[in-house]
Formats: sequence, structure tokens, C-alpha cells
Amino acid sequence: MSERILNIENLKVSFDTYAGEVEAVRGVSFHVNKGETLAIVGESGCGKSITVQSIMKLVPMPPGRLKEGTIEYLSTDITAYSDKKMQHLRGKEMSMIFQDPMTSLNPTMRIGQQILEGVKKHTGLKKKEAEEQIIRLLTDVGIPNPDKNMLRYPHMFSGGMRQRVMIAIALACNPKILFADEPTTALDVTTQAQILELMNALKEKFGTSIVLITHDLGIVARMADRVAVMYAGKIVETGSAHDIFYTPKHPYTFGLLKSLPSMDLSKETKLEIIPGTPASLINPPKGCSFADRCKYAMNVCNRLEPPENEISQGHAGSCWLLDERAPKVDLIKGEIL
Amino acid sequence: MSEILVDVKHLKKYFHISKNQILKAVDDISFTIEKGKTLGLVGESGCGKTTVGRTILRLYKPDGGKVIFKNQDIYALGKKGYRELTKQMQMIFQDPYASLNPRKTVGAIVGEGLDIHKLYQSKEERAKRIKELLALVGLNHEHSNRFPHEFSGGQRQRIGIARALSVNPEFIVCDEAISALDVSIQAQIINLLMKLQRELNLTYLFIAHDLSVVRYISDDVAVMYLGKIVEKSSSGELFKKPLHPYTKGLMAAVPLPDPINEKKRIHSILSGEVPSPINPPNGCRFYKRCQYRRDICLEKTPQLADTGNQHLVACHMVHAEQW
Repeated sequence: MSERILNIENLKVSFDTYAGEVEAVRGVSFHVNKGETLAIVGESGCGKSITVQSIMKLVPMPPGRLKEGTIEYLSTDITAYSDKKMQHLRGKEMSMIFQDPMTSLNPTMRIGQQILEGVKKHTGLKKKEAEEQIIRLLTDVGIPNPDKNMLRYPHMFSGGMRQRVMIAIALACNPKILFADEPTTALDVTTQAQILELMNALKEKFGTSIVLITHDLGIVARMADRVAVMYAGKIVETGSAHDIFYTPKHPYTFGLLKSLPSMDLSKETKLEIIPGTPASLINPPKGCSFADRCKYAMNVCNRLEPPENEISQGHAGSCWLLDERAPKVDLIKGEIL
Repeated sequence: MSEILVDVKHLKKYFHISKNQILKAVDDISFTIEKGKTLGLVGESGCGKTTVGRTILRLYKPDGGKVIFKNQDIYALGKKGYRELTKQMQMIFQDPYASLNPRKTVGAIVGEGLDIHKLYQSKEERAKRIKELLALVGLNHEHSNRFPHEFSGGQRQRIGIARALSVNPEFIVCDEAISALDVSIQAQIINLLMKLQRELNLTYLFIAHDLSVVRYISDDVAVMYLGKIVEKSSSGELFKKPLHPYTKGLMAAVPLPDPINEKKRIHSILSGEVPSPINPPNGCRFYKRCQYRRDICLEKTPQLADTGNQHLVACHMVHAEQW
């Protein structure tokens, strides 16, 4: 079996607001193996970003609060790590690419300096060596004329180029795990294709594990080895990309896939939709959070939370339909057998 | 043949940035939209697709060309005529968070068009109409006393649609109307837009960058690059047989939800990025990124020409192969 880089058990993160406790992440467990890409998919507000940010301890506490759960990095429990201890991990062992390359770079600093910051802190290289390292990094991420470009400011670059700079910063110290939070959402499709290709190439080259957060199922299909589908603060289905796309077992996963206008759908056929809107995370429902949007909802769904059922090796879903006592359902035809 | 509702002829919109710099956002664009049909307009950011939409609605003053809407030149209309025109042409905006006034109730937002054009006799009639509009877009009439912040993104977009429909328009420009929404909500709004089109015989200009959505919703599709249309055809034909190298590159770049084929496919045919539209070079604007470029592409600007089947392409190399 491949080496586990990261192991998350039953992570719960809440925010205390005037409106009450917002249960953003409600018991999430997953792991990341060495050199693989795990995609976390879900709609906005489902807690995917908060999950990743709380692993890196980037969630401000308060108002955030880590209620429960353990975070293990290379078999070391880092759940209770202080800020100071985390600083040794962030950038060096794990790093992050953010969605918006326009706002996540410092506009008053030359990009070379911004990359240098992390390199200097973690490696203690001499100035000359560090500079060489920066030039090497910029070449790796496909920025032309690195010796000139490292002296320029972020506003002088296009969105795609800025995202390349972000990737260079993230990879500066060869981290073992890279969190990418919607890295291409702000970019055009052709630029997106280039950035995704770059991430795949760098993953091959350095053996970095990637945790990719996205809402775009096309990107998931392109990048992911394994997929975790999140809904209302929980992982509802997890499996290999193959399992999730070709044999989805949770009605939400299935609905998501069906709601995309595929390339062979004619204008006359209506798109399948998931009715309603996601459940509120203030006082989330007692049973399954998807129950009131699910057309197969049974009595039990409103009363009890579904446990995780293993479907096959590595493929699991949290849905009462997967219980052996439940009626068998054909998701494709939408019928109860 | 059915009636042509919108006829855009050689439309130009330039922005003068400084003394010697002209940004040619829209540079000599022509197309027509038939009544009850949808034209999809796709392209990367900065290609001028939003400017096209806004210029057609006369939100920008054009630097050349005409837009004929129901047999009248909309730029020649006087103040009164323009006011009438705004009743027939409406817009749905991209960002449902920024395009609704946070200090107005939903009823006031949807009713504003009714007030401006005095489309009711009594208060009761106004309230009734707002109720109808909200029902039409799938909202509850009780919602009319609430404020935009009480709604989710999808619901807000429904409010924006109700606002656009309030004056009974015939033509709606949807400027990235669904791109800010979540996948499951996108499908709801797409279905709503298509239902409204069937019921009210609406005509859409659907501006978007998501190709699979455009393919699904549009009858015809035009692809823009740096202020020019490079390819235009029926939606089915364009996606089956893209001819322009840019269209091909754009389609290859879209990731599809099919892992087995996705991991094998080559995505980035197109290298580089969209160059700046400020003082664009002569000849083909796609020259720098094109893998089939020849000398002629630098010398002569390719014109849109039919390759048969109403499939128009502006590329020297495509036409060289054909003829």
C-alpha cells in the first residue's frame, strides 16, 4: 500500500456568529496518499475550503472553532500544533494555491521577493543560491525570462502568469502536499488547460500530493485519482474517479453529474435538476442533510443520519439507500425496483 | 424564413485610452438573430463579448455600424423612442449579488420597470403583476417584501430575470447569466430561461464562456477573438465540426466529466494568452497563437466567409483548403 501523507479523522469546525453556531464542517474523514491527487467537489458553502484551511490552520479562531477530530501529517498528530510549530510546516511541508491570483499576491513586492520569503525562511540558502533557486522555479512554472521577470510586480502579469507565480511560491520548498483551492476558477478555459497541465507535470516531477478543491466536474475528471463529494459539511461519497463518474451511488453525486449539459444533449431534452437549495448549516437537519432535495427520501432519512456504507474497495457512500434493508433503486431510470 | 429581430451591421466600439492608444473592443461585427432564437456568443475574457451586448442595448455609443431592431435603427432613435426601446430590450447580469440594489425590496426592484413605463392603472394591478412575475420565475409572492440579502444566489438570479421580464421585452441579453451560480443551481436557471423562451417567444443573446452550456441553450453560436467574430454557425454544426483553429483550441481546453477519455486527451493546443486589444496588429489577430499561420495571415485580415451550410469562418487557411 502506498504511503499516507495526511489522515483526517472526524474533523468538525464551527463558527460562532450572532445568528448562532454555523457548523461548517461536520465530521469529515479522509486521507491523502503519496503522489496522488484527491479532488474535493461540492457547491459553494459546503465546507470544502474550510476543511482544507483548517488543516493548514488558516481559519481564524475565533470566530472559528475546531470542535473535534484529529489531523495527522506523516503519522504525527498536528491537531494541537501551535502557530509557531505550524510555521515550520506551512510552505515547507504543505502549501496552498488560492483561487484569486489577483488578490493573493502582495502588490507592493517584486515577485522574486515574494518567492524568496519562503525559501529564506525554510532553507537558509545564501542570497546567490536562493536567487538561482528562484530562477529555476520560475522556469519550471513556465515564466519566460525569469531573471528579468523576477524583478517585476504582480500587476505587470496577466491572470494566468500570476497563478504561475503562486504555484512557484507554493512549490518553492518542495512541499509534500499541495492544497489547491479552486486554482483555475478565475481563469479562462485555455489558460486553465495550461495551468492544469503544469500542475500535473510538476506533480510527476516532484511527487507532490495534490488536494484539489473545485466545483467543476470536468476538472475533477481530468486531474483526480480519487474524489470526495461534499454536501452540507460532510463527505457524502468517496471513491476513485472511475467509481464516482461511472457508478455513482449517492443521489446527490448522481444529480450533480446529471445536471451538466453534456455535449450530446439536444435542446429539446430538459436538464435534470436537483430541486431546492443546500441545507442551512445553522441548525442543520437532524437526519440526512440532502433528504429534502432527494427524490428517494424515506422516513428514516429525516430522522437518522446515514452511516458510511462501503460499496466496494475504496468506494463508500453515506446514504440510507445503500443500507441492505432499503429498497433497491435504479438511479439512471429514477425508479424504485 | 422567420423574422429577423436583431440585425447587427458592422458594429464598432473603440475605447480611447490615451492619445495614441485605442482599444478596439468590438471591431466590425455583423450578425443577425431571428425572433424566438438564441445566439450564443463565446470567447475568452477581454475578447469584447460583453461590450457587444452592451452596445447592442445602446448602453455604449458605437463608433460605427448599425443595430436594426424590428426594422428601426436604434442609434437613430430620439429620447422618447429610446425609452420605448428599453421596454423591448432587457438585460440579465452576471453577478446576482452586485446587480440588485440591497436597499430595495424585491417588489420594488421588480416593480421599477413597471413604474418607469407606467404599465399599470392602479396599485392593485401593480401588486398583481409583481406577483405574476415572481410566480413566473418560480418565486413565492410573499418574497416581494424581502430584501436581496435574504436570498441565495440562484434565487437572486431569478429576481434579476423577473426584473428583466417586467416590461414584457422581446429581446434579452444574458451576460454570463449563470456563470456565478453553482452547478445544481445553473441547471435550474437554464431550464427556467428555456421555459420562458418557449412560453413568451423570447429572443436571447446568450453571452458566456462555458461552451457546453452555450451548446445546449443556443441555436446559433458565434466565437469571438479580440473584437472580431472568427467563426459562426448553427450550434450543432459548430460543435461537431469546428473549423477555425481558435475554436478548435477553445473546445479542446474544456474539461469534460469523463475521466477515462479526459486523462488521454490533449487539452492545451493553444499556447500563450489573449494579447492586448490595444492597437491590435494588422492581419489575422490570432496570428501569434496559431499553429497553421502563414505569411498571408500577417498581410491580409481574413474575412468571415461561408464554407457552405451557413458555417462562416474567418481564416485564410480554412478557405485555402476548401477552394
